[in-house]
Amino acid sequence: MYTKVILVKDTDLKREDKTREFYTRLLDYLREANLHEQIQVVRVADIGVYDQGLVVKVLPDKVTYTNIRDEDIKRIVDAALPDGKVIEDLVFKPKAKQYRIVLRNCGKIDPESIEDYIASGGYLALKKVLEELGQQKLIDEIKISGIRGRGGAGYPTWMKWNFAREMNSAEKFVICNADEGDPGAYMDRSVLEGDPHSVIEGLIIAAFAIGASKGYFYIRAEYPLAVERIQKAIKQAYDYGLLGNNILGSSFNLDIDIRLGAGAFVCGEETALISSIEGKRGTPHPRPPYPSVKGLWGKPTVINNVETLANIPVVIAKGGKWFAQIGTQTSKGTKVFAVTGKVKNSGLVEIAMGATLREIVMDICGGTLSGKPIKAVQTGGPSGGVIPEKLLDTPVDYENLQKLGSIMGSGGMIVMDDDDCMVDIPKFYLGFCVEESCGKCAPCRIGGFQMLGYLKKISEGRGIPEDLGQLRRIAQSMQKASLCGLGQTASNPVLSTLKYFEDEYNEHILNKRCPAGKCSSLITYSIIEDKCKRCGICFTNCPVKAISGGKEEGYSIVQEKCTKCGRCFDVCKFKAINKK
Amino acid sequence: MNKLSPADLDKMSKVTVDKPKDWIKVGLSSCGIAAGAEDVFNFFVEEVKKRNLQIEIKKCGCTGMCYAEPLVEVSVEGLPSVIYGAVNKEVAIKILEKHVISKMLVNDYIFEVLI
Repeated sequence: MYTKVILVKDTDLKREDKTREFYTRLLDYLREANLHEQIQVVRVADIGVYDQGLVVKVLPDKVTYTNIRDEDIKRIVDAALPDGKVIEDLVFKPKAKQYRIVLRNCGKIDPESIEDYIASGGYLALKKVLEELGQQKLIDEIKISGIRGRGGAGYPTWMKWNFAREMNSAEKFVICNADEGDPGAYMDRSVLEGDPHSVIEGLIIAAFAIGASKGYFYIRAEYPLAVERIQKAIKQAYDYGLLGNNILGSSFNLDIDIRLGAGAFVCGEETALISSIEGKRGTPHPRPPYPSVKGLWGKPTVINNVETLANIPVVIAKGGKWFAQIGTQTSKGTKVFAVTGKVKNSGLVEIAMGATLREIVMDICGGTLSGKPIKAVQTGGPSGGVIPEKLLDTPVDYENLQKLGSIMGSGGMIVMDDDDCMVDIPKFYLGFCVEESCGKCAPCRIGGFQMLGYLKKISEGRGIPEDLGQLRRIAQSMQKASLCGLGQTASNPVLSTLKYFEDEYNEHILNKRCPAGKCSSLITYSIIEDKCKRCGICFTNCPVKAISGGKEEGYSIVQEKCTKCGRCFDVCKFKAINKK
Repeated sequence: MNKLSPADLDKMSKVTVDKPKDWIKVGLSSCGIAAGAEDVFNFFVEEVKKRNLQIEIKKCGCTGMCYAEPLVEVSVEGLPSVIYGAVNKEVAIKILEKHVISKMLVNDYIFEVLI
């Protein structure tokens, strides 16, 4: 039986993988030292550390050593022995580490078992609230914690609750907003699927805080598994008396129902969401009155995001003070990001607020997939902005991201490298908002459409310098005059790219060139005769038969027929296709 | 099912679910299922029955390493618990034969995260 395990992995991507070589060397050493029956060496696929040369990790001690050279083998093995000491000069001290509050149970417990959740401390916060705290102390505790809404805008949760609590009304409502719609963001889905009871517990506590007796989950129908698991979890909670009448033997009653959203992006906005639950068309209406004063069916209503609610049980269980010491001055706690795009390890990352974007993308997610440098990071989905590489050392919190012209948003984070065009990206996001605009107010309905027109024009090489001024002007009126958050923020991707990448816009307008090679109207493909081996693979692969010629006379691309799909460029093994 | 009293809740929260037994957890959220985790889960259940192994196969949500789905966490007494990524049937057999039966970690499929 082995007592220790040494994991090995070469994390230097610039050279040939040395994992196997080192693995054999380490094994040989162990055999010589006659330790091969005590220590197992294992090659791993990923060691959680990137760009640090050869890395080893000793288990079960969980000590990581980086930039190992062959002469360190003896020291590492000695350190791994039962009386060994940690090698200070080799030990890895991570700059950034994940900190899991919201995802505390995700991947650990069985989401379909309430017993699992309770055994990991679940519903104890609810018990504490009902038995010890009462409404006032509960809201005080949330106030001390400093937690702010995780849906994007970052409104202090305690204030929302307090407004609703102070309202004198026989009927009040709580709603969990699970209408997650940002492209590339799926934090809420994972929490609902991986730990549904934590959200339910948060919602029960919110209901108790304001005195509501009815709650709703508003989940989009595109999340069938999340709906199924929440449904099961609600049923289990009813069975155990954690929902329904006299919860945990107290006088507090709460019923929870699920409402499915049909997938309209605007229904994530709280007033539109309320309309949708009421059975009306999902369009926003002006605020104030805010929902905490006049919400669902005209009654005081608190709407919280999934991630906010999943935080609440921990805040209560460990105390507001404990929570407040995590994060930055203005933003407390952690944030879950769904990191996607051109990144090596795409997935969910939960970090304490204040970690930098670079730490998230480089240290935790391992940098770009292609190994090319990062060009920018987009946060906040279609309402957010693009943050250029040079500003990646900004600590992440609500205020900092806003200063950069982006927003925290619900937590989508899309990594872009040199192949991404900074006219094409905002065109995509704006296109999304134009499609999802409900059409009720003119600034959003018309403004978005007009802006998209200008972006299309620029990307097709028909732009003129005055277009940029026009874009800015329309963006400003959309920000000021739109009815809801969708229109007010829809121009952020355009404004932020204009701010940081104006030269790229100018390149499109003045030189009719797309530096990233993305805008198909501005690129032409041609065959470099010197490199062409006349294999004919481009000829057979061209879907529109735009390549003429034969093996004898050589090939050429007929520009009139070419649709710029890039197929020939991809299939050519001799790099004989020129893309310009 | 009986309604819980606060005292019942306390008692239930002290039950240790994981500790005493060996287990394999398969991540079965949308990301895992999309990558084929359901097949892996069913395969484990069948094989364990066929080989009469004393190990529990459990479901869990997504740990966040979506790039390496399907993810399988294995905890066997005497070995550190580790997460295997990109698990298919071939890897699943290796996990059972090498990790569970021979008590040795399997090469090349472990994914470690710093948390």
